[in-house]
Amino acid sequence: MLGSRHILKRSDEEDADIDVVPIMNVFLVTVLLLLISFSFFNLRVINTSVPVLGNSDAVMAQASDIKLTVIVELEDRGIRLSALSDEADPETLNRVGTYFSRENTSNYPLDKFSSYLQKLKTQYPKSDTAVIIPEGGIVYDTIIQTMDAARYSKDAQLFPHVVISGKVG
Amino acid sequence: MALGRRSKRFTPPKLIMTSMVDIFTFLLIFLLVSFSDHVARFSIDGNISLPKSATKTDFKENIRLVVSKDTIWLGEEVIAQINDGTVKGLDMNNPQGSVLYQKLIKYRKYMDQTQVDDKDKYLILFLCDKRLSFRTINSIIKTAGMAGFPNFQFGVLKQ
Repeated sequence: MLGSRHILKRSDEEDADIDVVPIMNVFLVTVLLLLISFSFFNLRVINTSVPVLGNSDAVMAQASDIKLTVIVELEDRGIRLSALSDEADPETLNRVGTYFSRENTSNYPLDKFSSYLQKLKTQYPKSDTAVIIPEGGIVYDTIIQTMDAARYSKDAQLFPHVVISGKVG
Repeated sequence: MALGRRSKRFTPPKLIMTSMVDIFTFLLIFLLVSFSDHVARFSIDGNISLPKSATKTDFKENIRLVVSKDTIWLGEEVIAQINDGTVKGLDMNNPQGSVLYQKLIKYRKYMDQTQVDDKDKYLILFLCDKRLSFRTINSIIKTAGMAGFPNFQFGVLKQ
């Protein structure tokens, strides 16, 4: 009699085993599917274009409606910034122009460049185009970094339409 | 003293799955984080080092123009060699004479005939080594622009 109570207690104390077979089934199928779609490099793109001839109508507009085209000249020593617009007077365009020197460093001052573009965007919110004109010796990686800095700044859109062009003349 | 035979009950061996579940969990989390719904189904030369960018735009696989330090591919076909930053066979005074221009013109005519109404059908996916100078790149993209393909998708790696 005492023996049967002892046996009962033992069966109550038996460990409950978790059946992991169904979860392993799900994991196996999911992992296989994800492995099939796995890529070792994530390719993304920056949309750009080369300049083509087009028509433009000169229309006078208010300051906040002015659409500027920012010209970014990538030189060996720095970045020269200027602007073009059919809607703005020459004085306004001259005020926009500036230069960011590399100052003996190996990197371009892209953070200053980006901050300046943010200010421009605030003043001329309808502007959305930047023309990048690199010198012949500028490497592709620098061009891409400059395009990045011109297009976005901390999730705020600056000049998303980028045109890349060689120097004329 | 009667010694009875003790009957040995056969207990099936237990498979310890804890380690395997651990590994599968880590593998699953890693694959989920790096999941991409847009898989690049082409290979590019191992010598090409693409620049990195924070852009999130996905690519459209149209015409693929790949430029390494010494070779240019249009699709899977080698069309020119690059020597010291100069594209052989590409004279900027007469770009129409180059293989690149002629191949792109053929593509353009073919696409014009297909009558597919897609505004991005004249888009070139441009994959270029990040160490190449703009002088080299400019001659290639200018020629492509003259052939009727002024719009590009510059391929970059996700930062």
